[in-house]
Amino acid sequence: MKELGGTNGLSRRDFLRNGLVFGVGAQALASGYAAVPDVFARAVLSAKSAQVQNDKVLVMIQLGGGNDGLQTVIPIGSSQYRDFRPQLSAAAAKAQPINKDIGLHENLKGIKKLYDEGKVAIVQGVGYPKPSFSHFDSIRVWETADPDRRQQDGWLGAAIAKNYDSLGHPLVGCACGTTSVPGMLRDLQATLTVVDDAKTFGFQGGQNVENVMGTLYKSTPGIYGALFDTAMTTARDTVAQLRTSAAKYTPKGNYSDKVNLVYSSKNQLAAALQLAAELIVTGTGVKVLHVTLGGFDTHYTELNRHDSLMNYLDAAISAFQDDLSGYGMADRVMIATWSEFGRRPKENASGGTDHGTASPVFLIGDGVKGGVYGETPNLAKLDQGGNLSYSVDFRAVYQEILTSHLAVDAKELLGQSFDRVPFVKTQA
Amino acid sequence: MNEQPTTAKPAKTLRKTPLGIRRRHVLVGAGAAAGGLAITRALGLHHLGDLPTIALPGQTQSPAPTGVDWVSPLDKPEAQVAHLLRRATFGATPSEYEQSVKDGFKKTVDRLIETPIAEPPPLAGADDATQEKPIRPQELISWWLDWMLRSPTPFGERMTFFWHGHFTSDFRKVNLQTPYIYWQNLTWRRMALGNFYGMLYQVTIDPGMLRYLDLGTSTGRAPNENYSRELMELFTMGVGTFTEDDVRNGAKALAGWREPLTQAMYDAQVKRAMEQGRQVPKNLKVDDVKTGVFEQQRAYVGGVKFLGLVKQWDTKGVLEQILAQDAVAPFIVTKILREFVTDQPSDAYVKRLADGFRKSRYDVKSLMRDVFMSPEFLAPASYRALVKSPTELMVHMARALETPALAKAIGVAGQGMGQLLFDPPEVGGWPSNASWISSNNVLERVNFAQVTLTGMPKIPPFKDAHVTHLDGVVSPATAQLLNSSPDDATRWLILLASPEFQLK
Repeated sequence: MKELGGTNGLSRRDFLRNGLVFGVGAQALASGYAAVPDVFARAVLSAKSAQVQNDKVLVMIQLGGGNDGLQTVIPIGSSQYRDFRPQLSAAAAKAQPINKDIGLHENLKGIKKLYDEGKVAIVQGVGYPKPSFSHFDSIRVWETADPDRRQQDGWLGAAIAKNYDSLGHPLVGCACGTTSVPGMLRDLQATLTVVDDAKTFGFQGGQNVENVMGTLYKSTPGIYGALFDTAMTTARDTVAQLRTSAAKYTPKGNYSDKVNLVYSSKNQLAAALQLAAELIVTGTGVKVLHVTLGGFDTHYTELNRHDSLMNYLDAAISAFQDDLSGYGMADRVMIATWSEFGRRPKENASGGTDHGTASPVFLIGDGVKGGVYGETPNLAKLDQGGNLSYSVDFRAVYQEILTSHLAVDAKELLGQSFDRVPFVKTQA
Repeated sequence: MNEQPTTAKPAKTLRKTPLGIRRRHVLVGAGAAAGGLAITRALGLHHLGDLPTIALPGQTQSPAPTGVDWVSPLDKPEAQVAHLLRRATFGATPSEYEQSVKDGFKKTVDRLIETPIAEPPPLAGADDATQEKPIRPQELISWWLDWMLRSPTPFGERMTFFWHGHFTSDFRKVNLQTPYIYWQNLTWRRMALGNFYGMLYQVTIDPGMLRYLDLGTSTGRAPNENYSRELMELFTMGVGTFTEDDVRNGAKALAGWREPLTQAMYDAQVKRAMEQGRQVPKNLKVDDVKTGVFEQQRAYVGGVKFLGLVKQWDTKGVLEQILAQDAVAPFIVTKILREFVTDQPSDAYVKRLADGFRKSRYDVKSLMRDVFMSPEFLAPASYRALVKSPTELMVHMARALETPALAKAIGVAGQGMGQLLFDPPEVGGWPSNASWISSNNVLERVNFAQVTLTGMPKIPPFKDAHVTHLDGVVSPATAQLLNSSPDDATRWLILLASPEFQLK
C-alpha cells in the first residue's frame, strides 16, 4: 500500500472504495494497484483549490432547431411583419403587449407575469458577425463562444474547469434530461454529469454490481480510456448524490409533461427542470445546469407547432420558478435561453420559416433586472439575404452572466470584452 | 507526475488463472505520461502520439490520449476476422466467428460484401398505415432490431443502419400514420451497397424524406430551403463548401415534389369526408408508387445559378451537379472511415479512398471493399479505435449470448442510451464515438448487461468468450475481475460491461 501514498491521492480513495469487492480479488487488486497507480482515469483532470465564489446557479435552456424570435417577441407594431408573414402574423393580434412595438407570444403567460414582476430581461437581436445558417455550425459557435470556430471546449465547461473544483463533485456541471454531454459543458478538464432520468439513475443489481463496475473501469488503456473511467466514476458519484437529494426534495411547483406537443414527445423539459430544481434546492453544489427543448426547426406549419412549444416552455419555466420560490431560492438561480439562430422574416410555402439570424434571449430570475435590452429588430432594414441584423453580440450576454451572476472572470473565458448588457441586479 | 512505478508486476493470480489469461494477453496499464514510457516500451506496448483534432459538425472532439494503448492483436488471422465482424456486422455469434476464422479475412470480406442483402419479412399492417391505424413505434423498432439479430446478411443490415444515420428521418415528424418511414427503411436496405448517385435520387424523392426535410411542400414560388441545405451540408458536400445562394437556388431547382397517397390513406380520407358530410376533394386520387410524385405546375420555371452553373434545372441535374463537386467524395469517405475504421483518418487516407470512389463513379460496394482491404483497417492504431453505438452494443450482446429474443428489450433500452431507432436526436443523425460516452450512458450500458443476464433462464457457458469477443486483449482490471469471478454469469457480466466490449 505504501506506494499509493505519494502518487495519487485519488487512487487511494478509489482503491479503498473498490478494494473490498471480491475476497481473493481484493488482495490481488491491492498488489496490482500498488504497482499501477490510477493515473490514467484522472490524468486529464487537475484538482484545483478554487472555491465556489458565490451561491449563484445558472440554468441554460436550449431551444433546439432555431427559435423564431419574431413569433416569440412579436413586432406587433410592424406592418412589414404582416407583409412578410401572411399566415404567421395571425399571432400578432393575440400577443401580450410589452410596449407599443412588441408583445410576448400569447402562450407565454407565466413569463409575462414574471416580466411584470420585473424578473425577466429580454435581450433583443442577439447574434454574431458573419452568421452561419447551418444548425451544427451555429450551435458550435454558441457552445464554444467562438464565431471563428477555433475553440473546442464549451464556454461553460471552460468556466467550470477554470473556476470550480469539480473533481469528485460531478454535479457542479450537470445536463438534465439528456443522454450525452451538451457541447456548452464539454471540457476535458471538467467533471460533468448527465442524468436522463433521475428515477432510473442507479445500478441494477445494487451496490455489489456498482462496486464491481468501479473496479472494472480503472486505468483503461486506449484513446477512450480516460473518458470511460471518468464517466464511470462520475456515474457512481452522481448515484450517491441523487440518493441523498431525492430524500430531501418534494416539488413545490406544478410540473407537467402532459402538454400535447404537435410532434415531439421526446421533449421532457418539465421533468428536466424538476430534476434541476431538486439538485439546486438540496444543496448538491450544482452551479451550471443545461436542459434542452427541441422542435424549433419550424420549416412547415409553424403556427401550431410554435404555439405548442411556447406553451410547453412557459409551463415548465413557471413551475420551475414556483418551485424555487417555494424553497426561497429564486434569487440564487438564473435561467438563460439560447438557440442557434432565429428564422427568416419571410415565411415559406409550407407555412413555416427557413433558417435566419438574430433572435431574442430571455434571462429569468429574482436576481434579474427586468426589461427590454438591445434593439427591436428592424424589418425595414434586412440584409442581402433577407435576414435581420444583430444588435447584441451573444458573448456580451455570456459576459454579463459570468461577471455579474456567477462572479467569475469573463475576459479569461471570452478572450475579449464587450459592451455591458446590464440585466443582472447589482448587489445591494 | 514524477513518481515512477518501479515495476509493473502483475498480481499473482494473473499467472495461472481459471481462464488462463496470462500476462502476455494482458495489457498492463502501466506508467504515467513521462515515467511510464520506458515501461510501456519494455512491455511492448504502444505509445500513442499526439492525435490531431478535427472539427466536424456535431462531433465531440477526440479524447486526450492517456499514454498507453491496447496491444493490437491484428497481426493474427483470427483477430483480424473478429475485428472485421465487430465493425462490418453487429458482432458475431460463436458459430459465425468460427466459420469466418476458417474462411480467413479476405474470403469473409468477399462473403459479406457480395452476398445480396436479404429482405426482412414485412411488418404486418405497415403498408396500410393510416390515421386510424398508425404503425406503433415499438413494433417498427422491434421489427428492425429483430432483423439485425437474425439476418443472414448482417453486413447489409449494418450498412442500412449507417445510411439510416446519414440520410436520417424521424418517425415523429414523418409520422406513423403513413407507411413512409417503414418504406424508407426498406429502400435504404435495397440501395445500401448501390451507386451513390442512384442513392441520392432515391433519397431525394423518398416520401419519408420529402416530409422530414419539407421538399414535399416546397414550391417554385415560395421554396422551402430545408432539403436543399441539408442535401449539400449533411448528405454530400459538408458545411462551408457552398453558398447561401446555392441553398436558395437549389431549393427553387428541386421544388415540385409531393408525397404519394396510398389506397389505405385514400380510403381513410374518403371515409372521414363522408362521415363529416364533406365533399371528397375532386383531385384526390391514389398514387400507385412508393416515391414522391412530381408536379410540373409547382416547379420553378426559369434558369438559376447553382454551384456555378446557370440553367433550367431538374432534380437529376441538381444531383449530377453536386456529384461533380470535389467535396463529395472526401466528405462521404471521411464519414465512412469514422464509422468503420478510425475517428481520425489521415488526409492521405481519405484522399486515396476518395480518388477510388470517384473513379468507380461513386460505387459504394467497391468503396466498402477498399475500406476493409486497406492496410489502415488492420493497423494497430485502428484497434479499438471506435466506440460501439448503443444498438451495435446491445445487438452484439444478444448475439454473443445467442439470445435472439431481445429485440423488444433492446428497443426500449436504446432510448435511455440516446439511440431510439427511427428517432435520431437531430437532422445530423446519430452521434459517434466519444460522444456516446457519458455518466448516463455507461450506467445504462452496464445496466442492460446486468438486466439481460438476470433475465436469462439459462446462461451459455463462458468458455473462451474473452478470446472470441475481446481477442484475449484485456486491461489488468478486467483480467483481474474475470479471474476472480465465481461463476460464468459473473464472467459474462464482466465481459459485456467491460470498457473493452464497448469498443470495436
